[in-house]
Amino acid sequence: MMETADKALLERKVRKAFQVLVLQRGRNPGVKGWELKRHLGREYKQIVEVLSEDVSPLGMEVFEVKGPDGTDDTSRFLLRFKEPPSISEAETSGIRIDDLAVLASTIAFVNSKQGRAARREVEHFLRDKFPKWRVEYSLDRYVKRGYLEQDDRSLLHIGWRTRAEVDEKTLMTMILSRGSKEVAPP
Amino acid sequence: MEKIRVLKERLPEWKFLDELLLDSEAMLELAQIVKLQDEWLKHRASSLYIDPLLIQLKVKLLAKNELSEAFVKSWHPIVQLDQISPKGLERAFVYWRDLLPMAERFKDQFGSYGTKPGSVGYAELIELGVFTRQQFDKDLKELHEALLQKSNGDWIDYGEFIKADSFAAKVVRAYLLSFLISDGQASLRTDPLTGKVWTMALREKVGGVPKSVAISVSEGA
Repeated sequence: MMETADKALLERKVRKAFQVLVLQRGRNPGVKGWELKRHLGREYKQIVEVLSEDVSPLGMEVFEVKGPDGTDDTSRFLLRFKEPPSISEAETSGIRIDDLAVLASTIAFVNSKQGRAARREVEHFLRDKFPKWRVEYSLDRYVKRGYLEQDDRSLLHIGWRTRAEVDEKTLMTMILSRGSKEVAPP
Repeated sequence: MEKIRVLKERLPEWKFLDELLLDSEAMLELAQIVKLQDEWLKHRASSLYIDPLLIQLKVKLLAKNELSEAFVKSWHPIVQLDQISPKGLERAFVYWRDLLPMAERFKDQFGSYGTKPGSVGYAELIELGVFTRQQFDKDLKELHEALLQKSNGDWIDYGEFIKADSFAAKVVRAYLLSFLISDGQASLRTDPLTGKVWTMALREKVGGVPKSVAISVSEGA
């Protein structure tokens, strides 16, 4: 009897965790650890783990982006695709190939510069490959969407959204391991 | 630890606050250098470290579709649901209900901005400090003299006559001329077909029923 009640409570909490994670509350997606604690109680991390297993057959997982102080409470928890989408799926989401190429190049460049680079330097680097208007437009857009962060000294950093969505090691490896079949015009 | 022990011993001997501040500043700078070195070492040791020149070269050589493909293959998009909640609808309704009409919205910031055009009388201009009575009379007399000399009994182009170095001066000349015309010291003729306007100074005041003519004064010629 007790076991059934516990199971029902857990199911209810997992359901609640899913709702909290999937419904956008503020400007940015995901929920902070302290907020999950408020909704689910102290054991929220275990509940999130159960949820992550439950949504796995649907191709999703709960991902944790560590906060500035590294504690669970400041971490941001998000529901994300477990496996990357295919190119055609990415294209149908309305994102242009050129925009993705700008973001990939910027992340690779900023990472190679110890995680921060002057915006002017990034723009100069990208202008070899992309038109000036696209570079400025894309960088502004990615800063706005959280993929990049720009500080008051105009330094670009990797944003929280890149940390949440992009497997940076895989990206760097993919870029380095790719052959240069086609040389882009200057 | 050794340094802190030395600091503990020496600290009471320092008498000046400036010295203490300089030393603490130096300590802070040293700590920042150590922190940056630590970050640099961690980054070099991580698998994310790649020579920037190598990355630049690779990115330059790769085609755009290859770069985007590399990104997509390492991408795990966030799953989220955008929805309108009853609370959101209520907030939108309250916002719309309380939204002031355009004419009233910026009244606080811009004062009378947005009020309809009206007329400014002579008395009001004096009150606003645009003219003093003496200056107005003097300027009016000078303009009459100038019109008398220029027209010399003939019709002259109105636009040419009011022309001035600045737009503000041009408006003042047009304003004063309208007084001369209303007062019967000058006359105005218009051609409705071409839209041309002429003026002429009169040596003696004339009476009669005044007619109202609207003339727009714009910047430039």
